[in-house]
Amino acid sequence: MEKRKPDAKITVFRVIILLLFSLLALQTWRLQIAQGEESRERANRNRFRLVSIPPPRGVIYDRQGRLLVRNVPSFTISVVPADLPPDREEEVIQRLASLLEMPVESRLDNVPSSLSQSPHLLGLERWFGAGIRDLIEEGRKTPFVPVILAHDVPREVAFLIEEAHLDLPGVVVQIEAQREYIGGSLLSHIIGYVGPIPEEEAESYSDYEPNDLVGLTGVELTFEEELRGKKGRKHVEVDVAGREVRTVGTATDPQPGSNLILTIDLDLQKEATEALQEGMTAAGSQSGVVVAMDPQTGEILALVSLPSYDNNLFIGGISPEDYQALKEDPHRPLVDHALMGQYPPGSTFKIIGAAAGLEEEVINRYTLINDPGVIWLPNKYAPDDPTLAQPFRCWLETGHGPLNVVQAIAYSCDVFFYKLSGGYQDFAGLGLPTLAYYARLFGLGSPTGIHLPGESEGLIPSEDWKRLTYGEAWVTGDTYNMAIGQGYILTTPLQMLNATAAVANGGTLYRPQIVREVRDAEGNIVRPFHKEVIRQLPLAPENLALVREGMRAAVARGTGWRANLPGVAVAGKTGSAEYPGPRDREGKLPTHAWFLAYAPAENPEIALVVFIEGGGEGSVTAAPVAARILADYFDLPLVPSAP
Amino acid sequence: MKRVTQHFDLLLLGATVLLVLYGIIMIYSATYLSGEGGQSLWDTFFARQIIYALAGLGLMFLATIIDYRYLENLYRPLYILTILSLLLIRVIGRTSFGAQRWLGFGRFQPSELAKLFIIIILAKYLSDRGPSIKRFPQLLISLIYVAIPMVLIYLQPDLGTALILGIIWVVMVLMAGARLRHLAILALLGVLGTPLIWLSLEDYMRERIIIFFNPQHDPLGRGYNINQARIAVGSGGWWGQGFGSGSQNQLHFLRVRPTDYIFSVLGEELGFVGVLILLLLLGIVLFRILRAADLAGDDFGKLIACGVATVIAFQAFVNIGMNIGLIPAAGTSLPFMSYGGSGLITLLLAEGLVQSILVRHRKLEFQ
Repeated sequence: MEKRKPDAKITVFRVIILLLFSLLALQTWRLQIAQGEESRERANRNRFRLVSIPPPRGVIYDRQGRLLVRNVPSFTISVVPADLPPDREEEVIQRLASLLEMPVESRLDNVPSSLSQSPHLLGLERWFGAGIRDLIEEGRKTPFVPVILAHDVPREVAFLIEEAHLDLPGVVVQIEAQREYIGGSLLSHIIGYVGPIPEEEAESYSDYEPNDLVGLTGVELTFEEELRGKKGRKHVEVDVAGREVRTVGTATDPQPGSNLILTIDLDLQKEATEALQEGMTAAGSQSGVVVAMDPQTGEILALVSLPSYDNNLFIGGISPEDYQALKEDPHRPLVDHALMGQYPPGSTFKIIGAAAGLEEEVINRYTLINDPGVIWLPNKYAPDDPTLAQPFRCWLETGHGPLNVVQAIAYSCDVFFYKLSGGYQDFAGLGLPTLAYYARLFGLGSPTGIHLPGESEGLIPSEDWKRLTYGEAWVTGDTYNMAIGQGYILTTPLQMLNATAAVANGGTLYRPQIVREVRDAEGNIVRPFHKEVIRQLPLAPENLALVREGMRAAVARGTGWRANLPGVAVAGKTGSAEYPGPRDREGKLPTHAWFLAYAPAENPEIALVVFIEGGGEGSVTAAPVAARILADYFDLPLVPSAP
Repeated sequence: MKRVTQHFDLLLLGATVLLVLYGIIMIYSATYLSGEGGQSLWDTFFARQIIYALAGLGLMFLATIIDYRYLENLYRPLYILTILSLLLIRVIGRTSFGAQRWLGFGRFQPSELAKLFIIIILAKYLSDRGPSIKRFPQLLISLIYVAIPMVLIYLQPDLGTALILGIIWVVMVLMAGARLRHLAILALLGVLGTPLIWLSLEDYMRERIIIFFNPQHDPLGRGYNINQARIAVGSGGWWGQGFGSGSQNQLHFLRVRPTDYIFSVLGEELGFVGVLILLLLLGIVLFRILRAADLAGDDFGKLIACGVATVIAFQAFVNIGMNIGLIPAAGTSLPFMSYGGSGLITLLLAEGLVQSILVRHRKLEFQ
């Protein structure tokens, strides 16, 4: 074979290779040199993130400085959606589901319709059996923000996940501070709990991040601004799984939230809870309220609403089963009956009628009004036909005979207050407008303004109100009913307590306060306590003194005798408020038991309301509860003395 | 033996060894340094690549010593072996990355070896037929030879390797003297058949093509790899971020680093200069193989050398092109650099063949 001449085709091949390689070099140059800056920036955007440093939330103490709420470290498992490789997403989700014992798909369908229809109660629907996949999908709106899948994960599980981080790309284990409610159900209604931002209120939390926990009820909600603190910011370098490789720099340090000192006295709260529970059990009731207040300042010393619930259940997300149980309990443990419950005040309302009658000079301290046991209110259209007249009876069928205002309060005479409020024959009474005016003066019919969410207004009826609501005119019988706290009038236990405190302290209506002081993390007082006056009641001191005399007499020798304590002068007023319900054998309506009290009578330092739902006679069931609490407060033996 | 050493291409060997070392170093950075160490040193990517390289170099020298012309008589069994192994893999192959590309026993990939065997078979066929390849029917028959393994590989599914077989065929028939006109007719037929091909493509292949044309379309989905590769290469600048310091590599923003995206690791950490060195070394290897084609004692040898050069050039272009966003992700490895035993050993074996052609190119003159 001859020596071959060089093949032209191979030369073409060489040229093509040179061209292709030049193309590669050119494009590489374009990327690296011409557009290098942009790429480096994008690489930095990949690896550097500005993340927030959560501040510790403020803790909460009672008035003696005893810790009620603290933060404990807990493990949180999150996923950074941007760091979850699409081809491994399914595998990661399945593994997390088994490690965290969470559903892959949301179980919302399984939640009873009663819950899914009112999920807004405190915005917990995000936690209800939310599936991992749905949580991640929702988080894709902000793909670099970690989506929290589970709070309060057991240490062993957190370690397992941390170890397997190469197999679980995008999964981040974080240690975060978690609330621990030391008092649990003892203080749930006061302290409340934190949870995720309620979806329908998202706009009002504009300066929060999606994963932030916020106060949802109690002082956790009303003092959210004080408790939350301020987030810090730091630059971190992360790897593709979103794990922090190192902190590059801190932009701002977090500012811890402020601490709250409550007005609550933990000992008194415990005693009140036990006493109320005992009283409820004795009365066969499932629900009741005790609130204690310093009548000189408006500070709430104890606030008990039973049944209660354990707010620790809400930490890290309450299970659908637990939530359903709480929600469907007929006695509504999630509701703070002390300020949300609205009830007829019954005879406790008589202290307001008495004060109004004295101030309006319808009566004076010497005025005697006769109680024959029953009075007949003539029919409006046939005033001369006695057979059509309507009877209004005193609870004491035999009647109290003639008595003055102090005796009327002491023995809770119904006829006295019928006549005083509605007038009778030629005796001109107060009339509804005046009575309602005084009720509002004492704070009834509007929220007291306590720093707890959900307070009810109560209801002080007016003539217009009845016409608009029922299309009927107001009649004297309505005024009679209202005189003894029945009929249309509704109050919350807290309102009645506040009115009592105003009587006790000589006429100042204070705004009830639940937080005494706000202190920063170093213990410096940020917001000191000061009393807030709603109004100074325009009542002559001697008139209020007469009401107090009546209340003292009620305990010393009247209907409230079961609260009489040796060693301290207790003043009080009983109430048994009828409400629509099954009648007893004698055909009487069931009653809520009320008792208002303050002590010592001469210089009151504590005022008290005891309310037992369906508890029967206030003098029988509510007064002993007050006696036990007051005995504990004044450190006295519990020996009630008969009149 | 003297004959062997006289014409042995030391420059080709040197450039090849440098490329392989370059690859091992980058694999070291892409895996060991970035925290993907194995249970022991021998369990790491780079240690295994060293072993593959040594085995490949051994086979290369063996192929150099053996006279390549013996292969002329072996083409029938080689062809049957190729088809059988590809069929076998359809039945029992292991699935990896969604494709059945591995065959048991040391995870060997038959499609890698198939490239080399097809080169030998085509070389034999074309050198036997001589100028008759200028006739269209002859060209079609040669296409059928290649089409059978191509289809089998395409069905694995492995679009990249199937394409390589096609390119091998195009280049080798052209080198053997086929008319460009005939190929143009075939290409036209192919274009007309494109809609059919598009319909027959697997979803993942279509996705790759779509994403190539619009990588921003889905930054966290399928386009992720291409995007991250471009960012990695782009942030390299002239001198790179420094060995072991590329954030895209070390923090795992790049995936399949030691194999498909080893070029991006190189580009990020060693910069434009590092890329130029790679292109230079590849260029030397390719030009020395083409020199062997020029010098080859017979058409069989010349065609083999051209085929080997085609594989290296095409794979290098497709792989680098994919890393820098010129070409859709095709799943081809970077010759000599990417991690993987089958590919590296096959390439080194092929180079042994080229050396065998070289050392024997003057034999006839002395006879």
